[in-house]
Amino acid sequence: MLIILDPVMSKSTVESREVKFPPSEAFRFSIESIKRRFVRALITAVSIILGIAFYVGLRTMSDIMLSIYGTSEAARSYQLWMAIISLIVCAVGILNSMLMAVTERTKEIGTMKCLGAMDGHILMIFMFEAILVGVIGGFIGAVVGWLAGVLIYIGEYMNVIFSSALMTSYIMRMGEGILIAMILSVGATIYPAYHAASMDPADALRFEL
Amino acid sequence: MRYEYTVETEDLAKYYQLGEVVVKALDGIDLRIRRGEYLSIMGPSGSGKTTLFNMIGGLDRPTRGRVYIDEVDISKLDAYELAWLRCRKIGYIFQTFNLIPVLTALENVTLPMIFAGVPREERMRRAVEILNRVGLGDRLHHKPAELSGGQQQRVAIARALANDPVIVLADEPTGNLDLHTGLEIINMLRQLNVEKGVTIFTATHDLKMIDVSDRIVWIRDGKVDRIEKRVDVVVGMEEI
Repeated sequence: MLIILDPVMSKSTVESREVKFPPSEAFRFSIESIKRRFVRALITAVSIILGIAFYVGLRTMSDIMLSIYGTSEAARSYQLWMAIISLIVCAVGILNSMLMAVTERTKEIGTMKCLGAMDGHILMIFMFEAILVGVIGGFIGAVVGWLAGVLIYIGEYMNVIFSSALMTSYIMRMGEGILIAMILSVGATIYPAYHAASMDPADALRFEL
Repeated sequence: MRYEYTVETEDLAKYYQLGEVVVKALDGIDLRIRRGEYLSIMGPSGSGKTTLFNMIGGLDRPTRGRVYIDEVDISKLDAYELAWLRCRKIGYIFQTFNLIPVLTALENVTLPMIFAGVPREERMRRAVEILNRVGLGDRLHHKPAELSGGQQQRVAIARALANDPVIVLADEPTGNLDLHTGLEIINMLRQLNVEKGVTIFTATHDLKMIDVSDRIVWIRDGKVDRIEKRVDVVVGMEEI
């Protein structure tokens, strides 16, 4: 097999007609956007924090109850259902605020495309924003939920709560919470961001809320 | 390569379906814009000016006909080439300025250069230089909300020039500005046209624009009504 490497050719023919937007630039843009649209990010983050706090709180409590009383199978599944419902409520909240956050930026997306952005570049910016908000919101929510779960039992069962077996499960639950927050946040962003990014710039620029 | 015509349109048409009715926003426009020319499209609102702006700028797809930029048929471009065209060959100016609200004046001007792959130091240097040229050297780190309408439009002009485009397209660039500020913007566009040889296309109903245009194309109901050189322009009352 013959491989011809011609740096001059590849530079002029492959690179010359392409626009660039390295992930590092997209990441910087996302951070700026979150910083300067802080209230909007906060609203999204709060809905994540509440949902994840509720989820992690319930799971933590059920772990503690299990190690204190050895809870029945029925009670376990009831608690799991509560947690799932908390996540559904959380998902709806995130979807709603992400939908708004992306839609109100449709015109901005149109402008970016006039400047040379491609659909994928726009998606990349929104993905980074969703991941950042998801991880930060998820982390805060997980800590708040864990504290709430632990504080309820802290007086009577001090030594049980901080047993090493439970410690591992706390960390597991919090990790779960952060992961779920990220998935929900990204999932809720993909659709509206894809929709806005694939519009013709003319339509995006005409867009009014 | 330097081409005689920066923009050519051939039987360009755009129809919109509004319920039962077909609206002919553009209906067979043949237009040639010479390199270095300052051309204004005039006409009442709803005559198809903005639609023509969108078609020439590659922001929307025509129903029929073709647009050539530097002799390239833009309907034949794929997504990469179209993005490249918007980035490198065309500068856009809008009535509503359309700056990115979270970015400073300087960052707004550097943005198209990021897409063009210009290294960071070079971007900064050029953005500062262009902003100085439009008289905003002392407003580099202000965000759009902290600038007046005229200043925002000057940032938009600087952004449009960032990648040395072959043509600057302006859609009602003075539409949101008062008389005096509007005149400043018009004179700035003319100055760029004369000094740097940038081809300028404006869609407007601002009669102040007639003074600086090389040619004026009057359109009505999506068709070219007449094309005039500046010296020949006589404006009738019904057109104001």
